[in-house]
Amino acid sequence: MALTETPKTELDLIQQAQAGDTWAFGELVRHHFSPVVNVAYRICGEMTLAEDMAQETFLRAWVNLNSFQPTGSLKNWLYRITVNATLDVLRRKSDMPMDDEVVQMIQDPTPDPETSLVQKERSENLQKLLRSLPLATRNVLVLREFGELSYQEIASVLDIPIGTVMSRLNYARTRLRDLLKEQPSMQEAYA
Amino acid sequence: MHNQLFPLLNAYLDGELRGPRLRDMERHLTDCETCQRELDELRRVSDLLRAAPLPAFTPADRFASNLTLLLPRRPQRSQPRRVPSPTWWLVPAGLLGLWFFLQTVSALTNFVYAADASGLLGQVAPGLNVGPTQTAWFTATSNLFGVQMSASLQSTLSLLNQFNVLGAGLVQGVFWQAGILALCIIWFLAWKISGETAPVNNL
Repeated sequence: MALTETPKTELDLIQQAQAGDTWAFGELVRHHFSPVVNVAYRICGEMTLAEDMAQETFLRAWVNLNSFQPTGSLKNWLYRITVNATLDVLRRKSDMPMDDEVVQMIQDPTPDPETSLVQKERSENLQKLLRSLPLATRNVLVLREFGELSYQEIASVLDIPIGTVMSRLNYARTRLRDLLKEQPSMQEAYA
Repeated sequence: MHNQLFPLLNAYLDGELRGPRLRDMERHLTDCETCQRELDELRRVSDLLRAAPLPAFTPADRFASNLTLLLPRRPQRSQPRRVPSPTWWLVPAGLLGLWFFLQTVSALTNFVYAADASGLLGQVAPGLNVGPTQTAWFTATSNLFGVQMSASLQSTLSLLNQFNVLGAGLVQGVFWQAGILALCIIWFLAWKISGETAPVNNL
């Protein structure tokens, strides 16, 4: 793209991508990759699988892009695909062991090895606790905490009543709170 | 009040309460230590989740570049077949009705002509003027020769006249049917053009 061209809005990119422009779709992918892979990771708990889910999400989005109404939120539409794609994989894999790679690849903001180790341990434990929640409850919590969706948006993405969103969120946070209190390694972080 | 508001602490934490419920909650939180403690704990859970570090995923640029290489050819836009509105249907229905009417009139006229020519009608329909159609040149020629016209010349002229009438009838028939066909094509094109500008509603 020439440097003199004006930046494209998301709506422009969506319309171009709907017309078959792979460059425009690539731009949309660049913009939405981080939130999509984050949500996928928090649901499935495995880095490689989360990237696979993100790839599956964007491939499905590309194939079905013409059915997307540009007046809606692309991010929410992608989340809906992500949740469905992740559910498909989790149904196939009844039990997913925590991948050691997750622990090894966790970003370390501090160079201190001791701090790094503690953070890795906490992150791993937190992810385990998250995965111990029922999937339906976990989806609601993930879309709220990591997808930063409103209750109404979560209800729309998951096709459930808003009252169900509230009850699942209540259960998820309360359950996590109780589990965190029982975890020795998490008590310091939680306190 | 406590029992009503306690289940709404998460909604309050997420900024989902509005109006009177929000005011009730804020007033209640100033007095109720149980709710304050519960709210603090829920907030810590939320903060802890949001602060959890992420693995080092593939950079978005590289991911997008790799993905665009994998994009399959997208299937054709799967719009449902559009059905014209009832108003749109009035045009072709009217044209079809017109065509049917004209064909019927033409067939009936030919039938009456044929019946009259063969003497089947006799005096049954004296009011009908179903005599042989005369073209302008036939009338002029007949007037020129008057009663002196020989029988062979008269029959030759009549034959030529019938051919001419038949030919004129054919030309007229082709002309008005082509007109109706043209109107149908114009209707179809107008419908297609209006459809291309219509928004896509298929989600």
